[in-house]
Amino acid sequence: MNEKEQMDLGRRKFCLDLGRMTGGLALLSAAPWLKACTDEKVTATQGETARIGMVGTGSRGRYHIHNLLALPHARVTALCDIYPPNLEAAQALCPGARAYTDYRRLLDDPEVDGVVISTPLGLHADMTLAALSAGKHVFCEKAMALTMEQCKEVYDAYQAGDRALYYCMQRMYDPKYIEGVQRIKDGLIGDVVGMRCHWFRNADWRRPVPSPELERLINWRLYQEFSGGLMTELATHQLEVCNWVAGRLPSEAVGMGDIVYWKDGREVYDSVNVTYRFSDGRKIAYESLISNKYNGMEDQILGKGGTVDLTKGVYYLEEDTEISGMRRLMDSIRQGVFAAVPTAGPSWRPEYRNEYVPHPLVQGSVSVNGGQSMVAADHDGSDLVMSAFCISCISGEKAENVVEEAYGSTLLCLLGNQAMAEGRTVRFPEEYKIPYMKF
Amino acid sequence: MKDFVIQGKVVRRELYLLLGCLVAAELVNTAAILHWGRPVLELLTQLGYVVVLALLFYIVLLLVRGLVWIIYKIFKIK
Repeated sequence: MNEKEQMDLGRRKFCLDLGRMTGGLALLSAAPWLKACTDEKVTATQGETARIGMVGTGSRGRYHIHNLLALPHARVTALCDIYPPNLEAAQALCPGARAYTDYRRLLDDPEVDGVVISTPLGLHADMTLAALSAGKHVFCEKAMALTMEQCKEVYDAYQAGDRALYYCMQRMYDPKYIEGVQRIKDGLIGDVVGMRCHWFRNADWRRPVPSPELERLINWRLYQEFSGGLMTELATHQLEVCNWVAGRLPSEAVGMGDIVYWKDGREVYDSVNVTYRFSDGRKIAYESLISNKYNGMEDQILGKGGTVDLTKGVYYLEEDTEISGMRRLMDSIRQGVFAAVPTAGPSWRPEYRNEYVPHPLVQGSVSVNGGQSMVAADHDGSDLVMSAFCISCISGEKAENVVEEAYGSTLLCLLGNQAMAEGRTVRFPEEYKIPYMKF
Repeated sequence: MKDFVIQGKVVRRELYLLLGCLVAAELVNTAAILHWGRPVLELLTQLGYVVVLALLFYIVLLLVRGLVWIIYKIFKIK
């Protein structure tokens, strides 16, 4: 392989090869944000480099650094963190980058085109607003902000300016999600009648703290001052997918949240159940629990004709015409013989889940970590979002609908938290609706 | 120990029976293909299921023949 071919291969790793996916370029209408990471866009940036400043170099920040180091069109020029061990770890990865402990100093750095914000949620809004007003392109971790007011403020600032803003909603760039959503819209499972998402873990979400005064800074996810808990940390990804599939947002939410198991001084729920209702009656059933992981993580889209599990990248059909005649014959015999319960009479049969045959959404694709988790998984789309962001830093072009999708899903998370805190059904507030949203 | 001698005609009969079971299983496959409108290629691709079904038929036939033989013996003794 010659040098040019190697460079081509290197570049292609960081663009979405739409030609290989069912639907090809037609996918761009269902997921317009992909226009920023096509092969043509990556080729157009050949020879140019985005200079990136990292704000927050904890575990997630360093994960992004690893992705950036692999990009031929990116270079990390500055690093910022207030916690010395994190900053030193990042400096070891990027020896040539300048180090800061105040993000405002990093924003003054002329050698920075775009900033990557991987800080606690409570800091996202202020940092994003400061970076946009400093003329930097911004890539921010999800969720968008801690309150609805902050979300709207960031959205308005983004609309008013000409800088690109990305949120790390990696499912929007994950091939199995893209193809899955497109095929659902094409009628793969008939009418979508509901959605069911859950994320189960069995861990306390805590990190070791070297000194008590650092507790809130390091374990920020556990405190309301910085975090929206399971909703903003986990549900935000899954609710975005639901909005994407439905092409609209739910208009109301009701739910319950509690600290069931980890009664260790935390302020956010360790168990949440929220139901969102669309104006046509369809619902999203959302559940998350971090003291049992039996169910793992799933994003299920329920249709009259089948079910798509986007997390695993598979679909199941209610009437599966792809199963062989012999197999169907045996299934029907088995159902006839074993499903009847003589003692209960013919009117009742236990409706156990059928053994559906899984069909892959993308040929050759495998599920990410068996559906258990997508955090920092390889090729979950995070590298593609980062690549698209760096292309925007070079071209100056904003990505279509990324901010709008992040805004919608973050507001739904905050709406869910409000519903749980107040113990009532809450409607989507009129003052936070934006033109992109349909209800 | 006494040697058992299986006569050629017995082996031939059993092979014919097994062949009959295979044909019957393939007929079931054909019926399933017609019923669910599946591609004709399944006559070949589903041969694994057909062989298993044929063996099942053969075992059932073996049990029935054993039962008949036992009943015949009982009546013969009487």
